[in-house]
Amino acid sequence: MRGGVASPHRFKRIYKFIGSMRFAIILLVALALACSIGSLVTQGQTYDWYAQRYSERAAALIVALRLDDAFHSAWFIIITAFLCLNLTLCNLTRLPRLIGRTRAEGRPEGALESAGDVSREGVADPKAAFTRLRMPGPVACKTADGREALFASKHRAGLWGAWVCHLGILLLILGFGLGQMTQAQYTVYGVPGDEKPIGDTGYTLKIEDFAVERRDDDSVAQYTAQISVSGDDARRDAEISVNNPARLFGMKFYQNSVGWATRVNVLENGKPLQSAVICAGEFLPVEDKPELVVYLNAFYPDYAMVPGVGPSSASEKLNNPAWLYSVYYQGQLLGMNALMAGEELTIDAYTVTFTDPQNYTLIQIKRDRFTWLALAGGLITMLGLLLAFYIQPAKIWAIREPDGRWTLRGACKKGGAIFKEQFDRACGLGNEE
Amino acid sequence: MLQVENTLFTLVMLLYFAAMALYFAFIAVKKDGVARVAVGLQAAGLLLHTAALVCRGVGAGRLPLTNQYEFATSFAWGLCLVSLAFVIRFRFPVLGAFASPVTFLIIGYAAMQSKEVKNLMPALRSNWLGFHVSTAIIAYGAFGVSFVLGVIFLLRDRMRARGFMDQHIPGREKLDVIAYRSVSLGLLFLTFTIITGAIWAERAWGSYWSWDPKETWSLVTWIIYSAYLHLRIRRGWQGRAAAIFAVIGFVCVVFTYIGVNTLLPGVHSYA
Ligand code: HEM
Repeated sequence: MRGGVASPHRFKRIYKFIGSMRFAIILLVALALACSIGSLVTQGQTYDWYAQRYSERAAALIVALRLDDAFHSAWFIIITAFLCLNLTLCNLTRLPRLIGRTRAEGRPEGALESAGDVSREGVADPKAAFTRLRMPGPVACKTADGREALFASKHRAGLWGAWVCHLGILLLILGFGLGQMTQAQYTVYGVPGDEKPIGDTGYTLKIEDFAVERRDDDSVAQYTAQISVSGDDARRDAEISVNNPARLFGMKFYQNSVGWATRVNVLENGKPLQSAVICAGEFLPVEDKPELVVYLNAFYPDYAMVPGVGPSSASEKLNNPAWLYSVYYQGQLLGMNALMAGEELTIDAYTVTFTDPQNYTLIQIKRDRFTWLALAGGLITMLGLLLAFYIQPAKIWAIREPDGRWTLRGACKKGGAIFKEQFDRACGLGNEE
Repeated sequence: MLQVENTLFTLVMLLYFAAMALYFAFIAVKKDGVARVAVGLQAAGLLLHTAALVCRGVGAGRLPLTNQYEFATSFAWGLCLVSLAFVIRFRFPVLGAFASPVTFLIIGYAAMQSKEVKNLMPALRSNWLGFHVSTAIIAYGAFGVSFVLGVIFLLRDRMRARGFMDQHIPGREKLDVIAYRSVSLGLLFLTFTIITGAIWAERAWGSYWSWDPKETWSLVTWIIYSAYLHLRIRRGWQGRAAAIFAVIGFVCVVFTYIGVNTLLPGVHSYA
């Protein structure tokens, strides 16, 4: 029986706590700690990596607590979910009060009977003080006991700052979370002329052209690809470059990175058998003997052997091209070596040469249907902050005393000590006139 | 142009040093006239500093906001600008005395960086980057001022005994409001920095938020200052606790700015 009485009470207390500002502060501090842990512990490594870097114990702890993937771990999501719940409850419970206050702040009734944050008696010209405090034309009204009064209020929108900011944060988290859960990402790479499917979307991407624009000092100024995308019986073309993605068929196409591709020519007993373009990191099975595979490990346009570093490229110019390759037979590594321009590789009846090195482009394709929501959330947050910080609600009222002078009062919670100073200055000047 | 910038930069350092020395002299000799000269020197330094940044921008053919030197000198510029504005707006030269060594420290850090003008990699060629970094400079400047105010707040009680300080340092309540103004200015601009940074990242890399250490630390900074705002609203936490948060917040700012680049890996390591 007693339990039955106590539990709704307890439930209400928990409910109140979850929507409270105290809980908000706790959550914010927890989130700040969680984020710093996530950035201090290197993310996405294996148990062995952590064990070597730190210690076995630390590694066990990191893996058990999912500190290796902190930003997607259950505890991180739980903190964020509680923050959302907290924000929602706080905004819901405050809404009716906020509407009521916004109405009340615009009316003289409440103010005229209150003491205000600041006051000055014996003011001769209250209108001048209103002007100096930049209050819009005060309205004439009467106090409850019939005395003449003036009242002005401004910037009531500022009352909504925190509310709007909280709403924005909610939308931002919502947009980000939904995006993370539903987004799809694909990559397509190749050289001009290649046409490849975009993952499982049913669309195909054709790389029409690709150019690397260089400055005089050989540094890269821009990578630009001409692409066309087909599907749904339609075809659309676009130019993409770094920082200038294109949106086609609801997907966004990014010029992401570049690498080297090369032509591989295979001759059998001196007769051309096969010729294909592959990118560094790709395999080419020999046409009539697929268990024999050529793998291009890397390509160096300006090959140099650097002591302590190994093979590397002195520049991106084709001054001294070299191809690092491996050959596999039935899955076994036969050998690995480097070929310079004009050199050839012979395996039994086959002769392999590498020619025509060229840049391939790597294009990233992304679909995130909720980016707009996150962006809207961010902008609403900004708006809320602007309202909260720079639109300070204030009201001033003056009551005419029997001696014909006025008592001026005012309230501006946000202004604090600074508002008091402004008020005193305005009253002083108003008096002198 | 870059030659001119070099000369201007040296002059700026001298002016900032002189302003700092005069602010200290003001505290020592307690003459308001000295404070006025210090403010004047700081303003002159800021003017030349602006000219130096313009020269570098013209010389490099882009916004001077893309490497450690450029960002450090801009950071000092932002702090000088915001602190000067607060000194004048709130008639508070003691703030100048505390802020000027911080400004000088940052411009000294800038002087130690390589001034070489490098070409930009394609991902850095974006207007959003311009917005991103210029708003960051104002945010960092404002947070620098709140840090200095936090320190003044915490030291205030010790300095109480001296009448001069009492006269030149606002009361606890006003100090708290001024600190609130600087934190809110900083937070507004930091929010803008994060949003423009996210827009830029989305255009350049296809992902507007990827938990890169610099992103993460700017978020931590943002969270710390929003916690400050909420603490301030709670009765009893205004003042001392809030001042401590303002100091911690700035430690995060400095870590985001210098620590992340040198200690943690990430996309931002070139900036
Ligand atoms: C990321 C999280 C949050 C941010 C960035 C944030 C931001 C803000 C800002 C900017 C203000 C205005 C402060 C001012 O005017 O000085 C504010 C006020 C406030 N916040 Fe939050 N907030 C957050 C989370 C929360 C949560 C979860 C609650 C839940 C209860 C909450 C409760 C309040 C309350 C009660 C106020 C006072 C409003 C007023 O005085 O009008 N905040 N918040």
